[in-house]
Amino acid sequence: MSDQLKSVAFTVAIALGCSLLLTGAATGLKDRKLRNVAVDRQKNILKAVGLLNSDKPPTLARIEQLYKDNIRCYAMDGAGRIVADDSGPDGLPVCFYVKDNQPAAYILPVDSRGLWGKIHGYMAIESDGKTVAGFSVYSHNETPGLGGEIEKPWFQKNFVGKQIVDGTGRFAAVGIAKGKVADAIPEDRQANYVDGISGATLTGKYLTGGLKDVLSEYEPLSQRFRTGRVALPAGS
Amino acid sequence: MKLTQSPTFKAFSEPVVKNNPVFIQSLGICSALAVTVQLNTAIVMGLAMTFVTAFSSLTISAMRNVIPRNVRMIVELSVIASLVILADEVLRAFFYDISKQLSVFVGLIITNCIVMGRAETYALGNPPVKSFMDGLGNGAGYGSVLVTVAFIRELFGAGKLFGFSVVPQVFYDHGYMNMGFMQLAPAAFIIIGLLVWLQKSLMRR
Repeated sequence: MSDQLKSVAFTVAIALGCSLLLTGAATGLKDRKLRNVAVDRQKNILKAVGLLNSDKPPTLARIEQLYKDNIRCYAMDGAGRIVADDSGPDGLPVCFYVKDNQPAAYILPVDSRGLWGKIHGYMAIESDGKTVAGFSVYSHNETPGLGGEIEKPWFQKNFVGKQIVDGTGRFAAVGIAKGKVADAIPEDRQANYVDGISGATLTGKYLTGGLKDVLSEYEPLSQRFRTGRVALPAGS
Repeated sequence: MKLTQSPTFKAFSEPVVKNNPVFIQSLGICSALAVTVQLNTAIVMGLAMTFVTAFSSLTISAMRNVIPRNVRMIVELSVIASLVILADEVLRAFFYDISKQLSVFVGLIITNCIVMGRAETYALGNPPVKSFMDGLGNGAGYGSVLVTVAFIRELFGAGKLFGFSVVPQVFYDHGYMNMGFMQLAPAAFIIIGLLVWLQKSLMRR
């Protein structure tokens, strides 16, 4: 056999061996990987409604159980009807935190611009359609120690109890103040803001914009919650 | 012959201390900056790297007499890339949180010059067991630097080790603050520089 042919044959054999090994590994581990991704999403939804607050990392099975017992996810239009498609303006993905067969809170996926990249998380609003029940971030590229503090409990905790409407009941979204709320924001708007992170003004600005976009997109649904016209979809 | 004097053991111990890939050859610095904010990620990265270098050296050394010279780089790269993807898959399946934090850096082990360098310069000319130990040693040398840097960065940057708070609350009450700078990449650069200095001055004795 000529040298050239030998080289080609050897390379092909190596490539074949490697691809067989990798195909085996990828197929064998596929279920576990998909489960991890799903559980990670469930974990962050649970965090947003405050169901996972212990410092101890919960097991996969515990997260799945909690999620199954408490959370139901749908695609809905503004009128609170279930639709098949959750993309586009007529179908929004939304999850309910169900307590005693009543929606205790609803959870919106947050997809915001950040300083260095996208910020992804969840925001939970209580069933009165006004009060924020919680906020969580699961992926971001902000600077550690500065904008990166958005992933920390101390920052996310501040959202609990804030209002997405102003004193007169009109939609106002919830934002991040530049500095402390008590100093930076007039008294009648303080319920719409959380304390900012020092050194991360831009992260705060972008996240404020992102939250406003998301909340106004879901505003028709929130209005229905405010007037008490959202029941748990039947058959679930 | 004592174990510590055998050539096989030397192949392992030399790259850990005397010929450390990060300190002496200045290889693998990029990932050393990126994954050393926490001890957890540093240890997992060190283990993944050790696994890849050890087994790529073993495989390539075992085939060293049959690999045609003109395609040896391609063969080395296929072996290394396969092992890296394998390590990444295992991390994704069993250590999902850590693999999320390591993100692209596990995949980038492929581009880490330490792996290719050991395959080219050592594994092609030495028997499998010695090559395996050499790969193990280089991985461990790289990993030990990561762990040292991560220990300093996590302790001073976040007041934690392995994610658990170790700096008592009393310190914070009296005005102690975590150094945010430690969490940024330049801090790792400075720490690695100081460690190189320390290592060189110790070796000169």
